[in-house]
Amino acid sequence: MLVDFEVVRRAQKGDSAAFNEIVLAYRQRTMGTIGRLIARNEDVEDVAQEVFLRLYFSLDQLRAPEVFEPWLYRLTVNAAYDYLRKQRRRPEFRMSDLSEQQVMMADAVAGGKAEHDEQQKKKLRETVDSLLGAVSEADRVLLLMKEVEGLSLRELEKIYQVKENALKVRLFRARQRVLKAFETAERENENG
Amino acid sequence: MYTTQGGDDKLDSLLRAYRAACSEAEPSANFMPDLWRRIESRRNFTFSFQHMVRGFVTAVAAVTIAIGVYVSLPRATPPAPEVTYLEALAEANSLDTPENVGPVRLEFNETGPMN
Repeated sequence: MLVDFEVVRRAQKGDSAAFNEIVLAYRQRTMGTIGRLIARNEDVEDVAQEVFLRLYFSLDQLRAPEVFEPWLYRLTVNAAYDYLRKQRRRPEFRMSDLSEQQVMMADAVAGGKAEHDEQQKKKLRETVDSLLGAVSEADRVLLLMKEVEGLSLRELEKIYQVKENALKVRLFRARQRVLKAFETAERENENG
Repeated sequence: MYTTQGGDDKLDSLLRAYRAACSEAEPSANFMPDLWRRIESRRNFTFSFQHMVRGFVTAVAAVTIAIGVYVSLPRATPPAPEVTYLEALAEANSLDTPENVGPVRLEFNETGPMN
């Protein structure tokens, strides 16, 4: 927890200073998560504000301060979903989207061989975004929360309110699809 | 299926590199003021909406009560007839009433065909 439970309790009672403290503690992390989920830096702040707006009006529904973080993650994921639904501009995966250079770079990064500058970072992001386009929106978000945000299955269970086994199955299938897309891109690259 | 351990490791490395490559957006100086502006705006909207709904519900309740009172009020009913239906009918259509059942009157003027 980035803030004490007491701060959450005070915010629940309508203490604006406590709410500000929560926002200041969590906004950077929330914006990072949103940035990875929506992949559009210019809209990250707007979506993050929407998350804290929803938090403000739903704090009284929070059962216990102990579950605050999964609660905030859930609000974040939902706000990101809503944004993506409105925008409908999620990158679709097409093999032809990945240039030979991108596949080689991704391969080198995956093998731990590449030092990457800003330009390469941008290409890497585009490549992974394209690969993640091989799975559904929901699976992409789940995969990012697990593999990129680094949340445990137990944490995801609290966020999604779904049994751990169901999440495992879903994650496994999503990983398989992304791996298959990666493999296909590599094979096409090898065949020229 | 792409199930090799090597494939999994590659994907893990790629996703780790992806996380490192994602630049985190910095909150602008207006983040907090804008957030509070949105909160206030939503709060005002919610307040107005609740106010409106409350007014509407009160009006509906008042109209319902008014209709209920109106319907339940005793009406000034006509007194029960002291004569039977048939008596009333007979009275209304009395045999003395010439225009209905009296003998047909034939009027002859002086220049009529009989002359």
